[in-house]
Amino acid sequence: MGIESSAHTFGAGIVDRGKVLANEKSMFPIGTNGMIPGKVAEFHSSNALKVVKAALDRAGTKLSEIEGISYTSGPGLGPCLQIGQLISKTLAKTLSISIAPVNHCVAHIEITRHFAKMRDPLVLYVSGGNSQILKLSEEPFRHYSVLGETLDIGVGNMLDNLARRLGLNPAWGSSVAKAAERGKYINMPYTVKGMDFSFTGILTFAEKMAGKEMPEDICFSVQENAFAMLCEATERAMFLTDSAEICVSGGVAQSRRLKEMLAQISREHGARIGYVSDELNADNGAMVALVGEKMLESGFKARLSDCVIDQKYRTDEAMVY
Amino acid sequence: MTLRLISEGAESKIYADDSFGVPLIVKARERKGYRIEGLDESIRRGRTRKEAKAMCKARESGANVPGIIAVGRFSIFMERKRGKMLKDVRFGNKEMRAAGAQLAKLHAAGIAHGDFTPANIMLCSNGPCIMDFGLAGIGGGDEEKAIDLLLMKRSVEKPQFSSFIKGYSAYANHKPVLKKLADIERRGRYKARTLQTV
Ligand SMILES: Nc1ncnc2c1ncn2[C@@H]1O[C@H](COP(=O)(O)OP(=O)(O)O)[C@@H](O)[C@H]1O
Ligand SMILES: [Mg+2]
Repeated sequence: MGIESSAHTFGAGIVDRGKVLANEKSMFPIGTNGMIPGKVAEFHSSNALKVVKAALDRAGTKLSEIEGISYTSGPGLGPCLQIGQLISKTLAKTLSISIAPVNHCVAHIEITRHFAKMRDPLVLYVSGGNSQILKLSEEPFRHYSVLGETLDIGVGNMLDNLARRLGLNPAWGSSVAKAAERGKYINMPYTVKGMDFSFTGILTFAEKMAGKEMPEDICFSVQENAFAMLCEATERAMFLTDSAEICVSGGVAQSRRLKEMLAQISREHGARIGYVSDELNADNGAMVALVGEKMLESGFKARLSDCVIDQKYRTDEAMVY
Repeated sequence: MTLRLISEGAESKIYADDSFGVPLIVKARERKGYRIEGLDESIRRGRTRKEAKAMCKARESGANVPGIIAVGRFSIFMERKRGKMLKDVRFGNKEMRAAGAQLAKLHAAGIAHGDFTPANIMLCSNGPCIMDFGLAGIGGGDEEKAIDLLLMKRSVEKPQFSSFIKGYSAYANHKPVLKKLADIERRGRYKARTLQTV
């Protein structure tokens, strides 16, 4: 079983030898205000057991059948991470089963790589707090090394902020995508530095445009520039690493427009692009369970006292099993 | 014109041409289908202009850089140099020192190259020639200059980099840049990162 609670979603997933048996979640209602970590954590703690139980029911199994537990140890919001950590440690102790802390970003990437059946792809990881281009590296241990990344905020957070600023409801990237469907292009900043990129320039500019330009035009143009920046950096990394496979994961991988742009790259260079379903791209417990299962199968062992959280846990610090 | 494709990068294609009686290179920025047209055009035009400007300025600084013959909307016509790229040959401390001296000239003129690796330096009969100003910046600070050093450092062996720095020391203001390099390396982001080169 895997527990995810790094941000707005509390998720519990159950996997068995790489197959997802259950993937239940409850999401903090975001409204037009965004998230206050303490409030979200409170919400999670009141829903956690319900979600765990729903996952067991869905998988048609009992707690006593669970062989190992894993939880998201970071990156994420401290109070939220703590809820998942606490539940997992409690379950590990009462059931006397092994426990594994999992890096949230690695979980997103690994579930995509697993289902897209890719061995050593170039990875475009796009989520709320993070946006990175990575590739597996064996030195000094097996991990995702960062080839390029955002120099400031994640693309998802940028879209969420924009939604909030424009008063869209829910204040979410998906609302930006919806508004963008009716938009036309206005000039926006575009910042790519080699394989790195930056999103605050676009956000500041778009915020200044609010009230002057139509919201749908702002949404459309922000998406066009932000996603094209990601595509350009990815394309550069593709050439550099000679990759013919791109694994795209994280919440923003649900974006239709981003998928269209990547399909264009795929047509131009003959690269294969791997995705998972939206349900598995959004924050979820199954991805944590999948990585946890791999870890425990390869003999990973941790004492309860080693099961900490790290709000700033970097993707490239996590060992990949 | 008889354009012969000799190299394909992420954003441009490089063609060789001999029809004007002098050996030419054409660096053409390609249309990207994932960018909407207006944006794509302004990016390609802006970068072509910026690259041409940096190359001219670099040449004025006395650095060994291909001479520009003409600049189109999305393409630069330049003198074709003869030699092998540094990344494809075995090179020693002498070449490294000379490459460092070239970077010293660029930095002294306020130009940070942005992609200073053995993949973008050609060994010619008159020493290393610096190419690909596609990511170059003019008037940037020590940080941008330090990134040039960092990229080179990650691409070569330690003793070679020492020779490189000997050449680079011709730049009067080299000390603060070296200090910046140490700062950057201490910061997490670059420490964990493997800056790869082609
Ligand atoms: N002026 C030139 N003379 C000879 N060869 C060149 C010249 N300019 C570029 N090339 C060749 O083309 C390759 C790619 O050029 P470059 O400007 O680095 O493009 P890119 O931006 O695609 O990396 C170089 O590595 C070099 O082999
Ligand atoms: Mg080049």
